[in-house]
Amino acid sequence: MNKLPVIVGLFAVAQTSAHAHHSFPAVYDSSQPVAVTGKITRVEWFNPHIWFYVEVTEPDGEVTEWGFSSAPPGVLMRRGITKDVLQIGAVVNVEGFRARDGSNNASGGRVTLPDGRNVFTASSEDAVPDSND
Amino acid sequence: MKNRIRSAVAAAFLSLASLAAAQPSGGAGFEPPRTGNGKPDFSGFWSQPQHVESVGRGATTFTKDKMPPFVPGGEELFYEPRTGDPRHDEPRAFCMPSGFPSAFFGPYPVQIVQTDDWLVMVTEFERATRLIPLDGRPHREGIESTFYGDPVGHWEGDTLVIDSRNYKRWSLDDYYYVNPEEYRMHSDAFRTIERLRWVDASTLSYEFTVEDPKIFTESWTEDLQMTLHPEWESTGLYEFVCQENNRCPGGDCSSP
Repeated sequence: MNKLPVIVGLFAVAQTSAHAHHSFPAVYDSSQPVAVTGKITRVEWFNPHIWFYVEVTEPDGEVTEWGFSSAPPGVLMRRGITKDVLQIGAVVNVEGFRARDGSNNASGGRVTLPDGRNVFTASSEDAVPDSND
Repeated sequence: MKNRIRSAVAAAFLSLASLAAAQPSGGAGFEPPRTGNGKPDFSGFWSQPQHVESVGRGATTFTKDKMPPFVPGGEELFYEPRTGDPRHDEPRAFCMPSGFPSAFFGPYPVQIVQTDDWLVMVTEFERATRLIPLDGRPHREGIESTFYGDPVGHWEGDTLVIDSRNYKRWSLDDYYYVNPEEYRMHSDAFRTIERLRWVDASTLSYEFTVEDPKIFTESWTEDLQMTLHPEWESTGLYEFVCQENNRCPGGDCSSP
C-alpha cells in the first residue's frame, strides 16, 4: 500500500543545516514530501534516530502504517524533548520526506497536534545541538 | 551631575570589559585552568570546532577557497567518483565510522578529559574517542592505518599541538550534506595538526592544519573555535550506538 494520504506541495523542513549519521539523499527523496494524520502506534526511542509509527485511515477506510525517522534521542533530549511527547494513541500530523525505496517510511520533520500546536520539529538530518541552544 | 559621573564610569567599565573579552590567549585578566603539571587544562564539555561565523549551523566543513592546488592525480583522489552502490557511496549509512576529523566536526558535544600525560577527546556522535598521549612519546610504528589516525600531543607554551597521522583513506568532511555531488576524500598520506589554546573563559582557539601530499601541493589551516558548555555536564554525553536501530540503511527500508 503505497498511496499517499496527503501530498503537500509547499512543504519545507529545514535541510540546509543537515547532519545525521548518513546524508539525506542516501535514504530519503526530497522530491517526495509526505504529510499524514493518524494515531501513534509505536515509538522506538533508539539510536541512531528515533522512529515512530502512525496508523493512518484512508478515505476509503483502508488503514496503513507509516514509519517516521527523526533526530537521535540525545539530540532531542538536549533540546528538552523527551519520549513522553509521543504518546501511544495520540493523533498527530506528521510531515516529512519519503524513503527512496518508496515504502511507507519517511523522514519526519514536523509533528503537530490536530489543533496546530507543535509537538516538535526535528528531522533525522537536523543540525543539533545548536551551540546557541 | 552625580548621575552623569555614574554613567561615564559605567560606560568606561563596559568598554574595558569588552576589550578584556576580546583579548587573545593570555589576555589581561584571564588565567586558564591548569592541570597538576601547570599545563592548560581543557577538560569540559565543548561545542565541536567551528568557524566563528558558522556557530550553530551544522557540521563544520573545510573551506574550498583555502585549499591549495592539486598535485597531478590529486583531484581524482579527492573527488572519488560515486558508483551508485550505497555501501561505497555512503558507508556511514551502514554504521561505518566517520573517522577523524569528520566525526568530531559534527554538531554534537565534545567532552575533553585531561591529565598530565593524556588528553581524552570524546564526541557524542557514535561515542568516537581519541586517546592522545602528552608524555612526549613518538608516533607508533608498524601498525595498520586507522579511521581516527595516530595522535600524539606536545606543548608549545600554553598551546597544545596534536599531530596525527597514519590515517586510512576515508571521507574528509561532511560537505556532501551541503552538496551530495561533492564527496571529498583524503588519502592515506593525510596528516592533521591541531593547535588548542584558551582564548577566554569559555572559548578555545582551535587551529586545524591539513597536509595531504598525495592530493594537495601544500598544507592549509582553518581557524576554528570551540565553546565551553558547562550546562551539558548535568547529563554528560548521551549514548549513541549506531547499530541499535539503524533502519533504512542506504535507503532500503526492507533491510533487516
